[in-house]
Amino acid sequence: MLRIWGRVNSVNVKKVLWCAEELGLPFERIDAGMAHGVVTTPEYLALNPNARVPTIDDDGFVLWESNTIVRYLSLRYSLGTLCPEDPRERADSDRWMDWSTAQLAGTFREVFWGMVRTAPEKRDLAFIEKNRAATAKTLDIADRALAKRPFIAADRMTMGDIPLGCYVHLWMSMPIERPAHPNLTAWYQRLLARPAFNAGVNTPLT
Amino acid sequence: MLKIWGRANSSNLKKVTWLCEEIALPYNRIDAGMSFGVVNTPEYRKLNPNGLVPTIDDEGFILWESNAIVRYLAAKHAVGTLWPADFKVRADADRWMDWCTSTLWPAFRPVFWNLIRTPADKRNQKEIDEGAQKTAEMLARLDATLAGRSFVAGDQFTIGDIAFGPVVYLIQNVPFERPKLANYDAWYSRISSRPAFKKVVALPVA
Repeated sequence: MLRIWGRVNSVNVKKVLWCAEELGLPFERIDAGMAHGVVTTPEYLALNPNARVPTIDDDGFVLWESNTIVRYLSLRYSLGTLCPEDPRERADSDRWMDWSTAQLAGTFREVFWGMVRTAPEKRDLAFIEKNRAATAKTLDIADRALAKRPFIAADRMTMGDIPLGCYVHLWMSMPIERPAHPNLTAWYQRLLARPAFNAGVNTPLT
Repeated sequence: MLKIWGRANSSNLKKVTWLCEEIALPYNRIDAGMSFGVVNTPEYRKLNPNGLVPTIDDEGFILWESNAIVRYLAAKHAVGTLWPADFKVRADADRWMDWCTSTLWPAFRPVFWNLIRTPADKRNQKEIDEGAQKTAEMLARLDATLAGRSFVAGDQFTIGDIAFGPVVYLIQNVPFERPKLANYDAWYSRISSRPAFKKVVALPVA
């Protein structure tokens, strides 16, 4: 059976859990990271030298880097659905995965850590606001892309929606100011209607 | 013919041109970014709303995000060579592409930015020292992976190596103290001696 190491409140673990849920893959999840420890044990480091989560073991094939895991599972278990068969559609999904890491994750992370993982009296509000504004601006691009189609890379859900969906869930759940982003909001509502999204991603913010 | 927008000395652009040179794919490169401008014009923003390089136009298919472009072109033109046919080898190459973006470059970026793009009197030595130490740790991780293999995903040169090329070229050519790492050094010699690397990656650092 597929094994997934990682705590449920990690945005990168959420990507993999959601993907496995969408594919209906049975899996065993092992808590690891932050309060759970595990990641710095010699056994875990032998699987993942980065001491990060998630890591998977799929019948003896060990893999880490969350977007790569999503691509691998999607290709192996759902060619033609989550992983589009058409090369252009696949590249389109792929780019939004990279974009979420390269353009969105950096400023998002500062807002999330500031608002969710830092005590109110210790928050650097100016720093959080600067990153909140930058994240909102980056999300303008996704909002405009979603004006043209119901999902980020196609007329149906693909792996391209997965990393973005995980970030947007946290973004929409934090007590912060957000631009209207009507297309992004409608897309997020579509994700919330998916049982796999609720099982893999929609857990309390910690 | 394939069109590629981006200045020649952009690390992200170099991934794309290096791939094209390796597989002898003809392309027409259009200067864009930094001193060349272009990226803030309405015409370019219509192609790439991020205002970044590279962007490609492949017979009417517009794509951005450098790693996604590399995956797309390799899947189209280099299946079984640069794009491994075995999905586990491909996932291995893929994860190193993600790792280069998510882990190695953020570690090295402050060193590069301070030493190359910041006047001497404005450099932040603390950022340089921390970045250099972090980079050394990451290179040691890469070195351990390269033990017993010629390239990052095995015995074959793949897109996993392509994504690293432009970043490790900077690491080798920015004046800071690097650790001696036998496997990493041998791998760097292997990739940097390739004619295509010499032609489009090994440009003056600026």
